[in-house]
Amino acid sequence: MKYAPFFLLVALLLGMVSGQTNQAGLSEELKKLIQAGGTNYSNVLLRQASDQALCTAYRNRLPAEVLGSFLEEQRRNIKYPADSKLMGDWKQGEPIFNTLARGNCFSCHVGSPLNIGGNVGPNLEKYGQRGTSEAVQKYTYEVIYNTWAYFPCTVMYRFGHGGLLKPEEIAHVVAYLLDPASDFNTKPALRR
Amino acid sequence: MGRFWRLVGAAVLALFSLLVLAQEEDDPAKEAEKQKKQLLEQSGGILPSDLFVAQGEQLFKAKRGPRNASLEACDFGRGSGKLEGVVGRLPRYFFDTRRVEDLDSRIRSCMVRLQGFRPEEIRRSEVVAIAFYLSSLSNEQPINVRPLMPQERQLYALGEQLFWVRAGPRDMGCATCHVTYVGRRAGVLPYSDVVAGRVAKHWPAFRYSNDQAWTMADRIRACYANLSMPAPDFYSDPIIALSLYMAVQANGAKMDLPGFLR
Repeated sequence: MKYAPFFLLVALLLGMVSGQTNQAGLSEELKKLIQAGGTNYSNVLLRQASDQALCTAYRNRLPAEVLGSFLEEQRRNIKYPADSKLMGDWKQGEPIFNTLARGNCFSCHVGSPLNIGGNVGPNLEKYGQRGTSEAVQKYTYEVIYNTWAYFPCTVMYRFGHGGLLKPEEIAHVVAYLLDPASDFNTKPALRR
Repeated sequence: MGRFWRLVGAAVLALFSLLVLAQEEDDPAKEAEKQKKQLLEQSGGILPSDLFVAQGEQLFKAKRGPRNASLEACDFGRGSGKLEGVVGRLPRYFFDTRRVEDLDSRIRSCMVRLQGFRPEEIRRSEVVAIAFYLSSLSNEQPINVRPLMPQERQLYALGEQLFWVRAGPRDMGCATCHVTYVGRRAGVLPYSDVVAGRVAKHWPAFRYSNDQAWTMADRIRACYANLSMPAPDFYSDPIIALSLYMAVQANGAKMDLPGFLR
């Protein structure tokens, strides 16, 4: 009986936590609906992460009160290449940027001399004009690794966070964008 | 001098028409119209979708299945055998199956209940052809889908929620592109406005870029697949919920069926 107040407190805290996740997560009815779509479908959708749930709940516009902790969490999960070089080999970055099944960057961004770019994302033409300072390298790397650390809930894939590209591959893409010798900066961009 | 100005005039006209041409190619609706005209000229007045419609009509009227029955008695919501305009009134709740059904799932239900097919025997290509036949009988009719039954209201609300859900390794969500980036391009086509653009009015549709006959279910499944997500099963509730959500957004729109799209 001595521990009763302690257990009560734990139960209360647990209740609050689960209450919070329920608020941001999928409702029971929605879960049931998703399950009706088949196991492959529901396996992916029901595994919704808490940050995805927040973007869902706030329809991609996070209010100020959740923004701070959201950004902090996104930043915390960024990993860097083993040799900590953020600029790799631009020649290896080129096929990643320009292949649909890999980076697929050209679909949304103008700038590639190999593919006609889209306009969902900002124009990256002559991105290397920004120079290759440590700050520019770090920003470019982190936006590709986890764009939600800078643009919460945006459409761009979180390439590193989602496991779509390895840190070394992201560094190659950074080089493709920043290296003054890269075709990205020496050749004209293709546009519609 | 006169000759000089005629040349200038011709050059200006040529430049102007080039601009107009460039603009036409940029608007997917105008581009589709151009392609349709070309196809009609090449084929002597027959569109590929006409063939799907004809095939669907045969399938619809033929006595088939273990019960050797046609689908002519099927009730698509306006009463048994009433087919005109039904595509614009689906999805809706049906008392016989106790389920909200869209065009695809209702066709399948009738193939099961009237013709005696087992669900796993039903071929997708036949359902699509029958959907094309029915859509031809709904052309130029208005969309009128009002969720009133509790089952319809619940599925509509869930459809809207599902439209905003983000999940998977690419953080996919319908609204992320079809609300936030409407009109922008990631690839060839600009993102359509699924909420205000009344997109339900031109499905089922023939897609001339890859020779495919698609219903809204195929379109929804392709959206998922484009972002490497597993798609919901055919005839499943997530597809019906999203279709219901989009149909209600298109209320009042005059249907253009079967659609002819890129």
